[in-house]
Amino acid sequence: MEAPLQTFVDDAHALFALLLHPSGQVMGQFGFTRAVDVMAACALAAAIHASAGELGRELDGKPFRELYHAGRSRQIFIGDVPTTNHRFVFLTVFDAESSLGLVRIYFAELCALLRSAQPPLLAQAPLSAASLEQDLNRSLAMLFSRAPRGADGGESSLPLA
Amino acid sequence: MSASPFEGVLSQLIRQRGVLGCLVVGEADGIVVDSNVQVGIQSNVVAALAAALYRKARLCSAAAGLSTVSFLQLEAERGYVCAIGREGLVLVTLAEPRAHIGRIRGAMIESLSALA
Repeated sequence: MEAPLQTFVDDAHALFALLLHPSGQVMGQFGFTRAVDVMAACALAAAIHASAGELGRELDGKPFRELYHAGRSRQIFIGDVPTTNHRFVFLTVFDAESSLGLVRIYFAELCALLRSAQPPLLAQAPLSAASLEQDLNRSLAMLFSRAPRGADGGESSLPLA
Repeated sequence: MSASPFEGVLSQLIRQRGVLGCLVVGEADGIVVDSNVQVGIQSNVVAALAAALYRKARLCSAAAGLSTVSFLQLEAERGYVCAIGREGLVLVTLAEPRAHIGRIRGAMIESLSALA
């Protein structure tokens, strides 16, 4: 996940870039030097993104996708990253070396890159009582370091009761 | 809705032979203020990159003690990018190789007062 962020930072001449889950969980970062800064930025960005989303729903009927704030020397851009399976939040900080226009261009490229880079969603097998019990037994065996063997092996999976 | 104050400038420039598009862009943020471009031109991308280029050229010129940039011309294989700026706005013109760049330059310099 760091490679696309590094590409973004290099191309857009940004200072930091951070990709996070809307819950605040960090997915990737580039440019931060301390973990505590990443955690704080994630928590604040998630809160800002959630607030802006609700504000957009109130005003416009749909959440605001991008948010920009210009400080005295540094500027912040927060954007929504929609992918096929998930939604992420992107935060970047830049100064006068870059501009909002450049950041938006390379943010669009980053979104396309992340969309193409995500693994395909695994097809889920239909759930049945037998497969559920089998999976549960296998998980319990792995948890207690008793690796299950296949049908040709001597040991069967652990019984539930 | 009232017309943009740059509409006259842009329509005058787009009428020049070989001009593919012209844009008024914020120098600091690279965002399009107004534009008149042919179909197929990614005006947002051109605006952001041209504004960044003009800003760097202005800083370079100032650092070299050459004062302000009066006219910026980029000559590429398939055309020209021309830029001229004032008061935080940049007027960008894209032109084909067959364009008469002298006339475009003159029209852009004449339009400079409209950017204030």
